Amino acid sequence: MCKRDLILCVDDEENQLAVRKLVLESEGFSVLTASSGQQALDLLAHHPIDLILSDHLMPGLTGAQLARQIKTRNPKLPVILISAVNEIPEDAAYADLFMSKLDGPLAMCQNVSAVLARSRNGSTTGSTA
Amino acid sequence: MEPKVNILMVDDQPGKLLTYEAILGELGENLVKASSGREALDLLLKMDIAVVLMDVSMPELDGFQLADMIRQHPRFQKIAIIFISGVHLTDFDRLQGYKRGAMDYISVPVVPELLRAKVSVFAELHRKARELESLNRELEQRVLRRTAELRESENQLRQRADLLDLATEAIMVRDLDGVLQFWNSGAEAFYGWNRQEVLGKNVHQILRTKLPSPAEEIESVIVRGGRWEGNLVQFTKDGREVVVASRQVLQIDGGATRPAILEISRDITAQLQAEEALRKAEKLAAMGRVAGIIAHEINNPLEAIRNAFYLLQHHPTLDDAARTYTRIADEELTRVTHITRQTLSFYRESKEAVPVSISGILDDILALQARLLERNGIILEKEYSGDGPVLGFPGELKQVFLNLIGNAIQAMPEGGRLRIRVAEAVEKSQQREGVRVFICDTGSGIRPEDAKQLFEPFFTTKSTKGTGLGLWISKGIVQKYQGIIRFRSMKLLRGNITAFSVFIPRSGSPQMSESQLVSSAPLS
Repeated sequence: MCKRDLILCVDDEENQLAVRKLVLESEGFSVLTASSGQQALDLLAHHPIDLILSDHLMPGLTGAQLARQIKTRNPKLPVILISAVNEIPEDAAYADLFMSKLDGPLAMCQNVSAVLARSRNGSTTGSTA
Repeated sequence: MEPKVNILMVDDQPGKLLTYEAILGELGENLVKASSGREALDLLLKMDIAVVLMDVSMPELDGFQLADMIRQHPRFQKIAIIFISGVHLTDFDRLQGYKRGAMDYISVPVVPELLRAKVSVFAELHRKARELESLNRELEQRVLRRTAELRESENQLRQRADLLDLATEAIMVRDLDGVLQFWNSGAEAFYGWNRQEVLGKNVHQILRTKLPSPAEEIESVIVRGGRWEGNLVQFTKDGREVVVASRQVLQIDGGATRPAILEISRDITAQLQAEEALRKAEKLAAMGRVAGIIAHEINNPLEAIRNAFYLLQHHPTLDDAARTYTRIADEELTRVTHITRQTLSFYRESKEAVPVSISGILDDILALQARLLERNGIILEKEYSGDGPVLGFPGELKQVFLNLIGNAIQAMPEGGRLRIRVAEAVEKSQQREGVRVFICDTGSGIRPEDAKQLFEPFFTTKSTKGTGLGLWISKGIVQKYQGIIRFRSMKLLRGNITAFSVFIPRSGSPQMSESQLVSSAPLS
């Protein structure tokens, strides 16, 4: 696990965003938060972000749409979508990983570490959990 | 007033004819005179003669000869002939006369009263015979008329029956007591009873009809209103329960026959089943939609709560007691997560089939059922002999085995043995490689009469607890993989053994289903 990586957490729900940030910080990550896809894109322009962990169903840009925009600008930047929806959306493949919120905090941290490690090894092939 | 009859008097002597006329005049009948045998014959042919009065001795054609000629004609065989003879007649002569068909003899000198009496008797006899004849004729005509009528109505009936036989509906005619009089071939085909078996019997006893309202009520509607319509539950000869839309019409045939009821039954069993299936499918789909919404709404806060507890558990200020509490809470939360995942969320999987480990799936299912197995006192025997992965969608395969294992557990409420075997296998008929799974239980078994319908949709032996979809869905999924699902249930001395075997070919590429909305909500 590579510590001090900067993670950008995106979610429109305040509580969820806050605890997710805390969990990631407790595992040694640095965390920035955004409450919308647009805000996330703004932050990306000014911060050396290593990975984006975004909710999927949000007002405005969905997580998958956000992933698509990020990938067109920087294909190497890893994106994980975390969602409570029943179906994997069609455009989820833009993200490196689509995971369920039900997988729990430990799985979330492990997925973040794994995707970071994979992107460092130069492999960014999309897959779904 | 009685009709007059004709009396023919034959004599070559006009004087004698006048004498007879005088004697017989007061009888009031028609007196016809002939002066020779020839003339007599002419008159006989022209008129209806009741009695012939003739002299035996006449020139040219004597009485006996004339009688012979008269008798030869079939029309005159029964005509009454009275001979008047001037000479003494021997018994032999009389016998000759009788042989010729004479009715009587009168000797000269003629006693007027005697002649009158004799002629009168024959005239009366003739009149009565004529009356009888005309009565007979009338009777015969009436019989003929009635026969023709009957034949006509029989023809009509037969034509109608032929038409009715063309109908695919079951058509029957019964009397008010329910006794069957007519049963068309549609009824034979539908109910399985042939005409000879049912005619003369009570329709509702034969078909074990369940009426929607009391029989008297329906009967009174028919009698008063002339018709009744409604659905009936009945049974065919082989015991199959059917629902028919029944139309019953009162037939009153001009009072000639007793009123009858024409019943027409249309089979709506399949229609009702289809409607019921549709209703259930709609209910299921609605349930699925609701479950999906609930899952989403629950999963969101659930994640936040789990994350919060995760943080709380590791908080340095917690003492041992507080840490125990959070651990318990976290465990229970994990259970809630399991429940929403298993019962509420339908995971749409990737579009591509992925390598799936069947034994891995079985272990996932068994882990979930561990509590139930323990509670029901079921001993689990696993026998996995290294299965390679098959290509497929994990959710679907999970569905198949969840249904089979769920059924096995439910069949053993009093405990038993659940044996699960997984092995590499080669399917014989097409030499395909794959994985075979056996799921055996020692539960209540499958009754032979249920076996045929086991994979039918909406067939369930669990009364209200089952939807009757589990095995149907399982079979559908297995067939999608070009696999094989079979079962066997044996009654042994110590109990039953029921075994389901599922073969999934390794290379069988399942087609992508339109929607993989296969819920894990209580199926089967």
